[in-house]
Amino acid sequence: MNIDEIFDNTSFTIDREAHIVLDYDICTGCDNRGCVNSCPARCYSWSEEDQKMTFVHDGCLECGTCYVVCHRNAFTRWRYPRGGFGVAYRMT
Amino acid sequence: MSKTYQAIVIGAGPAGSSAALIMARAGLDVALVERGTFPGEKNMFGGVLHRLPALEEIFPDFWDRAALGRHIVKKSVTFMTGDSSFSTTIEAGNFDTTPYNGYSIFRPRFDNWLAQEAVKAGATLITSATVDDLIYKDGKLAGVSIVGRHGELLAPVVIAADGVLSFIAKKAGLRQPTFDPGQMAVGVKALIDMPREMIDDRFGLVREQGFANEFVGCTTGVRGGGFLYTNYDSLSVGLVFHLASLRTSGKTPYDMLNAFMEQPQLAKMICGGKLQEYSAHLIPEGGYDMIPELVGDGILVAGDAAALCNATGLNLEGINLASQSGVLAGKAVIEAHQNKDFSKQGLSVYKKLLDESYVIKDLKMYRKAPHMLHNDRIYNEYPELMCSFMEYIYRINGAPKENLSKLFLKSAKEKIGLGNLLADGFSAWRAL
Repeated sequence: MNIDEIFDNTSFTIDREAHIVLDYDICTGCDNRGCVNSCPARCYSWSEEDQKMTFVHDGCLECGTCYVVCHRNAFTRWRYPRGGFGVAYRMT
Repeated sequence: MSKTYQAIVIGAGPAGSSAALIMARAGLDVALVERGTFPGEKNMFGGVLHRLPALEEIFPDFWDRAALGRHIVKKSVTFMTGDSSFSTTIEAGNFDTTPYNGYSIFRPRFDNWLAQEAVKAGATLITSATVDDLIYKDGKLAGVSIVGRHGELLAPVVIAADGVLSFIAKKAGLRQPTFDPGQMAVGVKALIDMPREMIDDRFGLVREQGFANEFVGCTTGVRGGGFLYTNYDSLSVGLVFHLASLRTSGKTPYDMLNAFMEQPQLAKMICGGKLQEYSAHLIPEGGYDMIPELVGDGILVAGDAAALCNATGLNLEGINLASQSGVLAGKAVIEAHQNKDFSKQGLSVYKKLLDESYVIKDLKMYRKAPHMLHNDRIYNEYPELMCSFMEYIYRINGAPKENLSKLFLKSAKEKIGLGNLLADGFSAWRAL
């Protein structure tokens, strides 16, 4: 299971409008960043060099792990994608 | 444009569709609102559906009628280390006769089937609709709005069956504004395609028989466990992690899933299969202490949204509790319509019915189980102890035998410590 190839294994209808929006300044000041390792879809990556969080919503499995592990409430928005968008499981 | 119904159900999962079904059968005009393009599209779980008493009451022929998979006749628990495993297996004749004890199912099929039964009973299914907010008029709950859509859906009563994160329960002020990672788990799963004959031969199954295997010790010390379930022509293989433990571990779910699938004994089970789908979902594992307020003015909370999930360490139940709570919430709404009282007081019969059912009784009984399972030794030291002890018992190498009970105590002392062993035994006894 190569997480880089998530789009080969799981279907998504990607919305241009992100359903999760972060306040990156909060992430920069965070001492934990459990989202980076906990997210099962590797949507979060932290650059030590730039001291910057990057979040990509494209491969989000809508599980809510980040919403629960983030103890700084860095989300300016966390909702499910609007109807018809996001992950589409076929046989799980 | 707004449309008016007698009740709105948010979420067409097992709780929501069960609620919609029972209300529609009683003649109520019900809207069943689902964010997926079809019910089940967003849903994922480990893979075994237990008996559903609430639905069996509605459909006496439930087990012939529902979209099910193999029935589980064989169950194993495996204690696993990096290169060894020790399993116990129960295969019972009773598991092979109707009513079957459990089935492997696919949520996109099963949930869709159940929602379509609600539609057949007269409910209006509205798909591709993510509920945005609750609407209040004159201080009373009046309906819901949908993300990206104009107009609103109106009803005097709403059932929030919107899943584990229940933003609706939050908006209604019924759940805490934040979750405790210690009360949540995340499951990740690989769906592995495999020819049916290969599955039958490999796992010793015939006809429609299925196999369920749970694993401890396969999560590299993170609190959690693993599973493997047989579908007709695929295997569901996955891991579940407690979020508090996962967060601090620095490890990733997919790396641990890969390591699990590469563990020599597991690798043999899935060898020859092909990865078809990868999925993830949260599980509310806090048990009784995690349950939010279940009833408010004009609103009831059911299923995962109400944290009705029973993780005892031996079984993991959720869909059965969800459908039961959905049916009871539906009954409360039917009664509220008869009395024309949608206040918290008027709907409170839901809580009473739930308290009297196995749902709350079981959750109360296993109230201490989540605490017991927050013990790192279960996930590392105990599986190692089991495997090394069994290996010793069966190893014949010319060395004289030691007394087994002395040896067990000696290795338990080394790996776990006698004080811990006693404390863990006591904690398990109290919890279970």
